[in-house]
Amino acid sequence: MAERLVLCIGTKKGLFIAEAAKTRRRFELRGPFGPGVPVYSSLIDTRGTPRIFASSCNPFFGMKIMVSTDLGKNFKETKSAPAFPKSDGRALENIWSIEPGKGKRELLCGVEPASLFRSGDGGNSWEMVPGISNHEHAQHWQPGNGGLCMHTIVRDGNRVHLGISTGGHYLSEDGGATFDAANNGVGAGFFPDPNPEFGQCVHKIATHPDVPGRLYMQNHGGWPERPGIGVLRSDDHGHSWHSIADGLPSDFGFPIVVHPHDPDTIYVVPLDPSTRTCPDSKPAVWRSQNGGGKWKRLANGFPKRDSYFTVLRDAMTIDSLKSPALYFGTTTGRLWIGRDGGEEWTCLFDSLPPINCVKVAVV
Amino acid sequence: MSVTIHIPVMLRHECGGHSKLSVSATSIRHALEELAKGHPAVYRSVCNETGVVRRHVHLFINSSLVTDDGLDTKLKPNDELFIMPAVSGG
Repeated sequence: MAERLVLCIGTKKGLFIAEAAKTRRRFELRGPFGPGVPVYSSLIDTRGTPRIFASSCNPFFGMKIMVSTDLGKNFKETKSAPAFPKSDGRALENIWSIEPGKGKRELLCGVEPASLFRSGDGGNSWEMVPGISNHEHAQHWQPGNGGLCMHTIVRDGNRVHLGISTGGHYLSEDGGATFDAANNGVGAGFFPDPNPEFGQCVHKIATHPDVPGRLYMQNHGGWPERPGIGVLRSDDHGHSWHSIADGLPSDFGFPIVVHPHDPDTIYVVPLDPSTRTCPDSKPAVWRSQNGGGKWKRLANGFPKRDSYFTVLRDAMTIDSLKSPALYFGTTTGRLWIGRDGGEEWTCLFDSLPPINCVKVAVV
Repeated sequence: MSVTIHIPVMLRHECGGHSKLSVSATSIRHALEELAKGHPAVYRSVCNETGVVRRHVHLFINSSLVTDDGLDTKLKPNDELFIMPAVSGG
């Protein structure tokens, strides 16, 4: 079968799947799956036969993980979702990230309250990863506006990077057995100490497999008295970070995305820090092609004014075709595609529920 | 004694489509424990992993709302336990 593009769109009211040929001319939408229930994370797992996983976070009846083995035509629940041991005392509030683990069937799952779970059987059973979930800092982490969530999991061989809001960046160099806070250079605007050991409100971390030592971070910026702490880069596997926010209209935002074929090219969506919407009501994605040294505004096709949406931390992604397209979803339910690496933007769907997360894969 | 548990529509897929389940229990907590044994998926939808009734789920005995400290209330023959989603919206 010819390769297809599959988009997973997690919304406040369920999961939608959009599918297109590689030309991206026309996307067909199906769903919602898990109707009425918020979806905060999804994974298109292309190891072997493609599987789509999505969290289904029911505020009434608890958390589920849905799985599809037919590219999102049908979904069923896995046999179980992550759950804390009864003796632990914590209860699962939300599922914020699902990522592939080491083996073909292994999955990792970041949850609220901030903890990490591992499944060795494709999501049917889960065990808590104690090295971070029971970390001595855990009792001091505080919830941000979205809750106390572990939203980012980045694997690099034996290294595991985690993003916690508000906990900061944690790094394991022993395959996830132990973790240390690694926030040197990651500022915080809400503590008296501008550079605490941990407790930062990290929004997203992204990397490129060809240059694993380099990481990019969208941190909680937008602090007039502490400028530049919002968009950061590390060149030593996350042990230290420095600002690359110079040239952006705001260093506040949620997602940060790396070009699939060029580790120097990155994308952010700067937002007004007080309203968390488009600066001056004019939407734009900003791109750097030299690792954060210089930034260019990309806005062809967007409204010129009167836009007041937010793009959440997992709501922007990029496909892996030769000339990649970006995709982002808004809290106002619009799904945009930025063809030619974001040079030209078109609205694919304009009336979805508020969008929490967007993932794409070529399958 | 036998107690009837009424299952809301949105949870019936967790128990083979049944709208009512019958358990033998002496208190509400005991009824939930029996539910956990016979229908663990329904139980997990009603109580979180610490055993606390979920924030947006209400339990009623007959027509009386069961408060958090009322789980040890003794049941009488023919009591009916209703599982209801809490009101949401306005």
